[in-house]
Amino acid sequence: MPKHDVVIIGGGHNGLVCAAYLARAGRKALVLERRERVGGAAVTEEVFPGFRFSVFSYVVSLLRPEIIRDLELPRHGLHILPLESTITPLENSDYLAQWNDHDQNRRELARHSLRDAEAYDEFGLMLHQMARAIKPLLAMAPPDPTSLSFRELMGMKQLAEHLRALGAKRFHTLHKLLTMSAADFLDEWFETGALKATKSASGIIGTLAGPRSPGTAYVLLHHYMGELDGVFRAWGFARGGNGSVSAAIAGAALAAGAEIRCNASVEKVLVSHGRARGVVLEGGEEIRAKTVVSGADPRRTFMQLVGEKHLPGEFADSIRRFRFRGASAKVNLALGEAPDFTCLPGRGAHLRGAISISPSVEYLERAYDDAKYGEVSRRPYMDIVIPSMIDPAMAPPGKHVMSIFVQYAPYQVNGGWTDARREALGDAVIDTLARYAPNLKNAILHRQVVTPADIERIVGLAEGNIFQGELTLQQMFFLRPVPAWAKYRTPLAGLYQCGAGTHPGGGVMGASGRNAALAILGSA
Amino acid sequence: MNRALVIGGSADALVAAHVLARAGREVIVIEGGKAPADEGWVPGKVLRELRLEGLRLQWPDPWIAVPLPGGGRLELRRDMARSIESIRRASPRDAARWPAFCKRMARLARFLEALYAAAPPDPLSLGFALRARRLGKQGLTDLLRILPMPVAELLDDWFESDALKGALGAAGVLHLLQGPRSGGTAFRLLHHHVGCPPGVFRPARSNVLELLRKLPRVELEHAEVLRIAVRGGAVAGVILKNGRELAASVVVSSADPRRSLLELVEPGWLDPEFVRALRHVRRRGVAARIGIQLDRAPGFTALALAPSLDYLERAYDDAKYGRLSQLPYLEARCDEQHRLDVHVQYAPYGADCSRLGDRVLALLSEHWGDAAPREGELVAPRELEETEGWPEGQPHHVELSLDQALWMRPLPELARYRTPIHGLWLCGPGMHPGAGVAGAAGFNCAHAILGR
Repeated sequence: MPKHDVVIIGGGHNGLVCAAYLARAGRKALVLERRERVGGAAVTEEVFPGFRFSVFSYVVSLLRPEIIRDLELPRHGLHILPLESTITPLENSDYLAQWNDHDQNRRELARHSLRDAEAYDEFGLMLHQMARAIKPLLAMAPPDPTSLSFRELMGMKQLAEHLRALGAKRFHTLHKLLTMSAADFLDEWFETGALKATKSASGIIGTLAGPRSPGTAYVLLHHYMGELDGVFRAWGFARGGNGSVSAAIAGAALAAGAEIRCNASVEKVLVSHGRARGVVLEGGEEIRAKTVVSGADPRRTFMQLVGEKHLPGEFADSIRRFRFRGASAKVNLALGEAPDFTCLPGRGAHLRGAISISPSVEYLERAYDDAKYGEVSRRPYMDIVIPSMIDPAMAPPGKHVMSIFVQYAPYQVNGGWTDARREALGDAVIDTLARYAPNLKNAILHRQVVTPADIERIVGLAEGNIFQGELTLQQMFFLRPVPAWAKYRTPLAGLYQCGAGTHPGGGVMGASGRNAALAILGSA
Repeated sequence: MNRALVIGGSADALVAAHVLARAGREVIVIEGGKAPADEGWVPGKVLRELRLEGLRLQWPDPWIAVPLPGGGRLELRRDMARSIESIRRASPRDAARWPAFCKRMARLARFLEALYAAAPPDPLSLGFALRARRLGKQGLTDLLRILPMPVAELLDDWFESDALKGALGAAGVLHLLQGPRSGGTAFRLLHHHVGCPPGVFRPARSNVLELLRKLPRVELEHAEVLRIAVRGGAVAGVILKNGRELAASVVVSSADPRRSLLELVEPGWLDPEFVRALRHVRRRGVAARIGIQLDRAPGFTALALAPSLDYLERAYDDAKYGRLSQLPYLEARCDEQHRLDVHVQYAPYGADCSRLGDRVLALLSEHWGDAAPREGELVAPRELEETEGWPEGQPHHVELSLDQALWMRPLPELARYRTPIHGLWLCGPGMHPGAGVAGAAGFNCAHAILGR
């Protein structure tokens, strides 16, 4: 008789969310984490003495509010500090700021374009409506459009009714968001280049596509879905770094009775007679359970842990076709002093928000051009935050940590990732940033460069893709990760998936973990 | 006044005119300027209703031929066996996959054909869902997955030969300001497959115009339209450039939607929001044409310079920033008089095309052996706009991308061929289903007018 009802592979945030929900429903859940700490890509590490970094994912916004509520995450230590602005330094030493404060924001936009200042509110309202339209879809297991079962037909009917209830105008806007490029979509709204670029940047995050490639408008909406405190598009830091998000979820899971084992690397899923029976750890230990849930990405789950021989041929083909193509890197800096931006000198409120290196759509598009042919962008797009400005405990007194999200750094780089390549990427990032903040180079005490290959090696995400698989229309909703297998189940009885490679995808949302848990509870 | 005026001499315009005439309307077709070129595949419904007989569809054979790096050409033809034989020289594995690929794509094209023969469906209706379901599990999955895909990904899923992927990738970006790695280009590949036999991804040419011109009952007027007259929010007729005025209660325009509504209709009748949306409709022309007279046969009837997906993508990279492609994608056809007709992409509208001719000659001269050019003529997108009436040089009038297709074409408010001006209707390639399908927009439009 197995000791556990459910064994969960991977202690990333989705695995932990899944465990917490299962444990709360009375299941004996065991989480197995390969590394010495839980969190997956949502971890805080003291990389250099006294300097603590959210090494991979670095902000919170998309974490589903129902999860925060159900799991009482604040009680388990989650505390979110809001990010109040986004500053885009421009090449002419000016800047474009977007503030959370409505009046301040309007004044700033009017400085660049009166028309854009006018359009901004309407744009916000439109995206808000779209986010509301999508929101119910995030919490559901996608219906299977190819199935003729009554349940699936009803699911499709409900989906159609939901979309119909939006009304023609909103439905058409949604259609445009799903099919347009971020740049084309924004061209219909705004004229200020830097505003369009900074907004379209959220359409390319995590994806090997440029802002002019159709499909990127949806990723923009995906990133708009953040719902902190009920406000769409509010981004924040978790106090203590993104590791504290994982720690809070782990706390909730433990409190509900789940068990978590670190340093437990799963080597194989035990399969017999077409059914998953448990897992085998490195070293040979077998852990049996009625249900196995994988939080690893679809490629690792099926090609490595399960093995092709246990899968239908067509399913294995589809998994092979699922695209990862990581495009993002991280540069984490320990700084002796705060950066001083030429466009906004001194230590103003802007350092407490995000800083976006996205001066124009063309800049982003050129960054993509390099990556398309296997090179790191010579002038990359960057999304920068300085957590120590808001949460001083992240760095020694007077010193700072800077987190730089970098795109594009293709996983399939020409010649492969080497130490020299990694350092060249770090140099390109710092050279680019130093053009806007000249004191940066001298302020750097330590630097850590995390390439897509490093993300794959350390966290296990295939090709370093931060969403566990590209978030493109052809890999979304009922197609994620494989058509007809989007409901967290797999062709192997007893094996489920709960990672971001399933609907609705990545971004520290937790929705996949929750939906998977509900699917498991609903089927037993 | 029960008269209907139809603006334009295209297959769409003539089909609309004849459907209306058969319903008892008095119809005048106002044909201005140059007679349009041959047009392509015609849905069976249109042929049956207008009793058009003797339609001949023609595809160039091979429909595409790409030089192989080791000499020789990869040629794709109607004849499956010959295509396979040719692909085998580039990759035996691809040759083995070709029939299955053609079968899967043909099934999706049949689905589009049915959609194209009627007004755009309501995507949320039960009828549409049932129709999509008839594709079967694999077909439906293919449809959902392939429509939004970059054509490069679709081809990477199936094939390994650069030449084959280049040849098919070119069909995904033909006349589109996107590269093969852009989302939605797989849809374009399917669009060009509509009406074609399996394995052919290039719209047919047909004698449909000739057949339509032979039909009785419709009056022809050769004149240019100056304005569409509107009174009290309803169409009143048309004012011709020669000063004549024709009164009518229905006007059907096959000119592009923006020109029809914003240039031919006098300003002031349309809602500013609607006008703004119409101005945002994308219609960027990307191709020039070059005619070259050679002194002898060049040794090919068809030749495409699209050696790989990366080649096409790099050609697009230049165009993305408004420049001519350094190394453009070329497609040349040679007739019996040794005259080459060359499609040159990307030549974005507004770019300086003065040096393009030399660039193209240099690229082609490597392939035509001893032949020498006697004379050449370049037609830039700007000239195509004037001579062909293609806005910004775009033959589709409205870029055919997923956000401007089906119920979104050219705008959701116009997708059912009706305009906000009472009695004014649209039927050109800017409407569903778009260029490459002859007469379907005219047919659907006329049926909408008749309330069917």
